[in-house]
Amino acid sequence: MAGHSTAAVAHAGSNPFLRVVAAISTVAGWCAAAMIVVAVVVTCQMIFVRLVLNASTVWQTETVIYLVIAATLVGLPYVQRLRGHVNVDLFPLSLAPRARFVLACITLSISILVMAMMLFYGTEFWYLAWSKGWTSDTVWGVRLWIPYLSIPVGFGLLLLQLAADLYAVLIGIDKPFGLEDK
Amino acid sequence: TELRLSHQWSTGDVRHKVAQMVADDVAAAGVDLDIKIFPSQSLLKAREQYKPLSRGLLDMTVLPLSYAGGQQPAYNLTLMPGLVKNHDHAARMNESPFMEAIEGIMAEDDVIVLVHGYLAGGFAAKDKCITKPEDMPGLQTRAAGKAFEQMLAGAGASIASMASSEVYNAMQSGVLDAVNTSSSSFVSYRIYEQVSCYTPAGEYALWFMYQPLLMNKAKFESLTEDQQKALLAASEKAQAFYLEEAKKEDAASAEVFRENGVEIAEMTAADFDAWRALAKETSYKAFVEETPNGQQLLDLAFAVE
Amino acid sequence: MDPLLLGALVAVATILVLFSGISVAIGLLIVSAGFLLAFDGFRSLELMPEILFGKLDNFALLSIPMFIIMGASIASTRAGADLYEALERWLTRVPGGLVVSNLGACALFAAMSGSSPATCAAIGKMGIPEMRKRGYPDGVAAGSIAAGGTLGILIPPSVTMIVYGISTETSIGRLFLAGVIPGLMLMGLFMAWSLYSTWRSGNASVLSAGNYSWAEKFEILPRVLPFMLIILGVLYAMYGGIATPSETAAVGALLCLLIAVIIYRLWSPKLLWTVLRDSTRESVMILFIIAAAGVFSYMLSSLFITQAIAEWIGTLSVNRWILMAAINVFLLIAGFFLPPVAVILMAAPILLPIITTAGFDPIWFAVVLTINMEIGLISPPVGLNLYVINGIAPDISLKTILTGSLPFVACMFVAIVILCLFPELATWLPDVVMGEAR
Ligand code: NA
Ligand code: NA
Repeated sequence: MAGHSTAAVAHAGSNPFLRVVAAISTVAGWCAAAMIVVAVVVTCQMIFVRLVLNASTVWQTETVIYLVIAATLVGLPYVQRLRGHVNVDLFPLSLAPRARFVLACITLSISILVMAMMLFYGTEFWYLAWSKGWTSDTVWGVRLWIPYLSIPVGFGLLLLQLAADLYAVLIGIDKPFGLEDK
Repeated sequence: TELRLSHQWSTGDVRHKVAQMVADDVAAAGVDLDIKIFPSQSLLKAREQYKPLSRGLLDMTVLPLSYAGGQQPAYNLTLMPGLVKNHDHAARMNESPFMEAIEGIMAEDDVIVLVHGYLAGGFAAKDKCITKPEDMPGLQTRAAGKAFEQMLAGAGASIASMASSEVYNAMQSGVLDAVNTSSSSFVSYRIYEQVSCYTPAGEYALWFMYQPLLMNKAKFESLTEDQQKALLAASEKAQAFYLEEAKKEDAASAEVFRENGVEIAEMTAADFDAWRALAKETSYKAFVEETPNGQQLLDLAFAVE
Repeated sequence: MDPLLLGALVAVATILVLFSGISVAIGLLIVSAGFLLAFDGFRSLELMPEILFGKLDNFALLSIPMFIIMGASIASTRAGADLYEALERWLTRVPGGLVVSNLGACALFAAMSGSSPATCAAIGKMGIPEMRKRGYPDGVAAGSIAAGGTLGILIPPSVTMIVYGISTETSIGRLFLAGVIPGLMLMGLFMAWSLYSTWRSGNASVLSAGNYSWAEKFEILPRVLPFMLIILGVLYAMYGGIATPSETAAVGALLCLLIAVIIYRLWSPKLLWTVLRDSTRESVMILFIIAAAGVFSYMLSSLFITQAIAEWIGTLSVNRWILMAAINVFLLIAGFFLPPVAVILMAAPILLPIITTAGFDPIWFAVVLTINMEIGLISPPVGLNLYVINGIAPDISLKTILTGSLPFVACMFVAIVILCLFPELATWLPDVVMGEAR
């Protein structure tokens, strides 16, 4: 059996590194939640402006889109820490503890590798937008490096949380895949 | 050699047919050149094609150039109200020093044009006909393009932004009163079911959008001479086809609206001049302010007879 | 390599990676990166962050966190309990009033929440203990709520319908309406089964429990008023010319938060944070899958796999109903392992042209697809609702929950068959409200 509620929040124990990373991820989670709330308010403001004032709505749509994107990316490390990303742990459950440990190390390492790649190219993309002064093609013309910043920040923090997860498994503070022993 | 062409249109659209024509002719030329077309945003989303194209991660695309106005503000001139009067004028635009200047800017981004082409559009509204600026005050409007939003806002309309796929429902439920887009979009989104009056591109039209077939320059230069020749020959043929089809589309869209019982309105010379005067104060002004050499480019465009 | 063969390779790799315990979204990114690297060259990796960002660059996606907040804020109050209690007091004469009112409450709650786990949790927290106390078999108590919760994505608003609408460019407003009647029909089937199985298990006596005076019946009505307010408010905003469906979600979220704070006195920052935390967790999880599935489908398209599969299916000249059955089996299997959003994002672009070519209505198909996804929600190995129930009632074994849910899976199959026989059940309402299909 698998699913996302079988595993508990990642353990940090009293390890200072794990605790710092956990704190960073939590703050990222607050930021994500705040951005979602702001998106709700801005959308309602947009409806009000259009419906009641019958005026133009120039900046709201883009703001809301970029807020939700940023909330998603910046929220990644926090959800990782809560083990909120759905997974299918069919193999881990069928493995003996030792093999499960090895599998956890492999999957976390590959995840870290791919996230590092996303971080690298995401930073490059952000840098392009910044150095070339790209804007969106709307009247508002938002400078794109601002929303694109959420790519390196989000993947950077997710990378950090994944590294902490791997470290916690390696030193035995956390169980592989957060699964309790059978 | 395999080239990948991405675009946002369905396979029934004239812009797909242009791409397909080029692909077919190049294949028939037997120069070992195979163009793979990815229609309907099946590879990249509409507005995410130009950046990969200029970085050599995509070979070809058919794209409204103004989508890349955030990267090169000069491109906003390719969707500017009142700049192009009709399709023959648009064809002369394509061969002018103005277009040379625009192509010079594209070259900076490592992009070249294979097929030039403009498509026209018009206005449609729920309760009235839109022909002149005085028709706009108080209407919640969705305009296609930044410069049009600026001009319509200047006329007193309220601008609402939403995805084109939401326009039909927004018209139906009354969130939107008026819409400005291309002739083909008016038909493909079945806007005729929701409006009472349509102002198609006719003798006078405001809305012309430059939508060329583009290619990455480095990729083009990496081809053999034979391949380049075949590509250019196919493109020339496709460009003539594109112009003929573009002319047909406006009348065809008007016919669809008429058949569905929608009133058809026409813009007069005086209306056109009124719009252009308004655009001078709004869109052109904003364009010149934000674009390096903006005034010079605008003058070049106006110099085309 | 032949794209079809490559497609098979991708399928095997995806299954292996996803079963390894990696989270679904990261797994999809890993598979995409691997195949792009191997078959499209090193530089194609450069585009991945850009494509991922681009997939999220869509206003309609806003409605996903919003519809989740709606459910989460109401679920954290005693509103769910009020709702099912009111239903029970009024349905006391109906045999099996309690299970019937629980399922009714699930359906009503589904009209306020876009997600299934939220619906399940909101009603189950009170409903399951109450049913067990009154002698309903554990399997029926757990199974009915697990199944009732799946109505969350069929009865509008629905996160999966939004995702379907985005990926197929169909009207979200129309899709929402299409789910109403099938949702009610499914609720009816669930009720029928619950009553039958309770009666058969020899607990027929519990079916006629409870007796309420008229005073008690009327006294509880004001407590369901907030629900009616929210539902009517959202419906009015969506179909009354106030806002587009995606914008309406924000109105609903704000309404629900306000009602939770003002009427249900959800004042403490700690409780409010719980609501926001749960909504953020579920939203980020879903949106990350959407983004990663976008990169995955770029990989499939870039390697010409999508096109090859569509072409290949086009060449099979089979009866359209056999085709539909095959598609259902495929969706079902995919739904067993993947969350609904991931299945829809990966399957819809491939299936839609096939569906329309075979003469099926895309709106109708959205409903059939959603019911398939509902089945996945209450079947292993990734049955989100099963785990929600497991969290609410830890002393009921997963096996009991699972076997209790199985008959409801059968109800869903029946619903799919009925929908195939009478497609109007899905298409009639949208046609009436929004005009003939375009
Ligand atoms: Na729902
Ligand atoms: Na499942």
